[in-house]
Amino acid sequence: MSGKPMGTMAINASLPKKASVVIVGGGIQGLCCAFYLTTFGIKDILVLDAGYWQGGASGRNGTLIRPGFGGPEWTELFKLSCDEWSRLSRKLGENVMFTKRGYSMIAERAETAAMLERAADVHRDLGVHSYFVSREELPRHLPAINHRRVAATLHLPDGGVAPHHAAMKGLRAACERNGVQVFYRTAVTAFDRTGGRASAVYVGQYRIDAGTVVVAAGGQNLQLADLAGTKLDGYSMRIEAMALEPIRPLIKPALALIDSLAYFHQTSRGEIVGGTEVPERPRMSLATDLPVMAATAKVYLDMFPQLAEVRVLRHWAGMIHVSSDFGPLLGEHPDLKDLWFSAGWSYGFAGAPGAGLLLAKAIATGDIDSRMRPFAIDRFDRGKPVAEAGIVLAKN
Amino acid sequence: MSRQSADPQLVEFYWNGHPLSGRLGEPIAAALRRHGMGVIARSRKLHRPLGHSGSYIAGVLARVDGRPNVRLDLEPVGQGTRVEAQNVWPSARFDLLKAAQLVPAEALYGGFEHAEWTPQGKRGYHLWERLMAHLAGMSPPPLPSLPSAIRPGRRVQYDVVVVGGGPAGRQAANEAAAAGKKVAIVTRGHICGRYAAACGVEQDAIDDRVSVFTGIELFGSYRQGALLVGAPHRHDQGAIAFDAQEIVLATGRRSIPPLVPGSHVPGVMDAQAALVMAHDHGVAPGKAVAVVGSGVQTLIAKRLTSLGVNVVHVGDVAKLTRINGRTNVTSIEIGATVACDAVVHAGPWHRDPNLIFQTQSAGLLQLVSTEAMGNLRVVGAAGEVDEDIAVPADLSDDVLICPCMDVTAGELLMHIDAGETDPEVLKRLTSCGMGPCQGFPCWDSMIAVLASRLGRHPTEFARPSHRAPRRAITVAQAAGLHDLVEPDR
Repeated sequence: MSGKPMGTMAINASLPKKASVVIVGGGIQGLCCAFYLTTFGIKDILVLDAGYWQGGASGRNGTLIRPGFGGPEWTELFKLSCDEWSRLSRKLGENVMFTKRGYSMIAERAETAAMLERAADVHRDLGVHSYFVSREELPRHLPAINHRRVAATLHLPDGGVAPHHAAMKGLRAACERNGVQVFYRTAVTAFDRTGGRASAVYVGQYRIDAGTVVVAAGGQNLQLADLAGTKLDGYSMRIEAMALEPIRPLIKPALALIDSLAYFHQTSRGEIVGGTEVPERPRMSLATDLPVMAATAKVYLDMFPQLAEVRVLRHWAGMIHVSSDFGPLLGEHPDLKDLWFSAGWSYGFAGAPGAGLLLAKAIATGDIDSRMRPFAIDRFDRGKPVAEAGIVLAKN
Repeated sequence: MSRQSADPQLVEFYWNGHPLSGRLGEPIAAALRRHGMGVIARSRKLHRPLGHSGSYIAGVLARVDGRPNVRLDLEPVGQGTRVEAQNVWPSARFDLLKAAQLVPAEALYGGFEHAEWTPQGKRGYHLWERLMAHLAGMSPPPLPSLPSAIRPGRRVQYDVVVVGGGPAGRQAANEAAAAGKKVAIVTRGHICGRYAAACGVEQDAIDDRVSVFTGIELFGSYRQGALLVGAPHRHDQGAIAFDAQEIVLATGRRSIPPLVPGSHVPGVMDAQAALVMAHDHGVAPGKAVAVVGSGVQTLIAKRLTSLGVNVVHVGDVAKLTRINGRTNVTSIEIGATVACDAVVHAGPWHRDPNLIFQTQSAGLLQLVSTEAMGNLRVVGAAGEVDEDIAVPADLSDDVLICPCMDVTAGELLMHIDAGETDPEVLKRLTSCGMGPCQGFPCWDSMIAVLASRLGRHPTEFARPSHRAPRRAITVAQAAGLHDLVEPDR
């Protein structure tokens, strides 16, 4: 275990006075970006996080990873990311425990089944391996599912899951081994815009000069954009998930029930972890509410009746910042030089290695990859949102 | 013993296929203890024997009539009930998984899934994952033939909801009723004030105007306490959502297990579990019982004696250094070696902070308790300050801090000494408190160890977030709350 004291502001005496890249946010986006920057030979990288390690959405998500969505933009980005996931343990020299147990997108309604047909075409065009599980095959693929409710199952065998504790542990260890300094419980409180660029960040009174600043702060992105004097699309929203008590294996692949707005999988320690979306007013809070637990349980009962007598172990909430089209906001901010974002994520855990790689490449070499371009921060101003139908999110 | 019903109806139930007699309606854990069966369950990773402790739920979980993870301290004996030990393979009688006890604890430091043990490569990994999922799963899924009906919930409105039916709860409820308020008492016991009755404490009668909900675990406080949710222990009944103007917590306190080796061994019980079992069911914790505590041990010992329990030693818990025994207590070290087959601990006393935490916690980076108590009032023992947990200067690495997840003091100290001093991070690195108890009492012990190692006071550390519903509700019961409560739009 790499042990850096994390606790009080007093420890920040060891903070450096300058860094080539300051990354604000030590979640999976920030750590992936930091790690890939080191692979491009960048040194003096500093990661600052206001919370505790794994405390943000990186430690609270469903850990589902899939290469294919409904449209080409998402599919290209997430295919890259899924490929990176399958190489990540080797690249980091740390086991992130990514398991290709497969990911099934399930439609309950005919129009959603038709959307999956179109998604399968996109997958074929872009080289993502996916296939429909026939009605006859379904009992073998998902023995416990309520077959009558399933209209179509599009299976992505290269998708899967990675436990976030393993991924975050591996990334942090690899970053620190490559010389990245990572500080938790260390909040950035101000930005310096001298010279028309993001030239420094402040931790309280303490100034850190920066060559480049990357904001990857999850639910706190909008406040940080505000602190930097810039505007960012989107809003913060709370997502809730829950875990059932462990049982021996019942559900093998990771699942997205598009019509029930639900996603879940059974972890390798037996807990079925997932959630569903219940529209509510946007709020900034980690407190849970009852409707999501009840709605998720209802989906489980409807789709996997065998779970009726399994108990709900715990239920929690996490904050994300989503963009208007739910797609990530990737790249340099058009209004402030040297201020970059990896923001707006709703499938951030799955997308992090791909986004981290592309962002690092862009920062290190200036080359903006074509897979990153559609997700530019100013796409809404240009009237070019990215439509995506293969996600399970409800607009508030 | 005193309160055995004169003519209990005897029925036959099955424990791992063996027929046993039990008294209709008594908890299965009491019936097993009466037959001298202390080992009910096995810990998650190292398969250490666990039993009914009053402290750790993992010790009483078993499969009952095809339903996994049923609490045997709450589940009644019925005619023909089939009870099976979990976390065994291939069978309880011939359990090869017991061999896991031979693995040194240090080999499994680091949470539940061990990346360093995991083979790389697709094929090896898949085999390993299947093996681990089998080992971790504790129990097969519920039988597909069990009914999967939704258990419809209900929503009720009260001016005051009192949690806990002991003397303090009754007093608060009666006062509120006298003031013309609409009042409910919610208790997890099958009767109100079960522990007080077991202690022999006189209790006020409950005012007729007070509605009483028994057998309901009130597990969740949502919307700053405006919405409380409880579920019945009976799996075939629905959950209840309470709209409350005011909450009164009269949930008392429980004894924290001593931080000595062997504190998880079957035969070690907290005072509440021991007294209730002796009083309600006429079952003693053992044939020769040692009582240790932080001040009230003499009183507890007296009461146990009057209930027919053979108490062989009464002592200060701070002087206890070791509990010996593997599948059951055989002796304790408390200055001298005292032979006994059960240990009852009575202090240090802590309140279960779950509902208070849930009601008053807020935060974006971490849920933390705020000073604002809102509509929440704490009465009785639950309102008293937690007692200090004595951490021995030479704390043994072998002490189990979280028996449900096999987290030892050695594992915590390894991380603390490496500089990890954040309780939230320690929780994630070790899985401490992520089992069925969800953090009480093990986070109290974890923070005591952390504070002692750093020379600080436990109250200086923010607790990890306490999360509902702590396994109190089934999927069918939770689904029955769907559409009862509008989302906050």
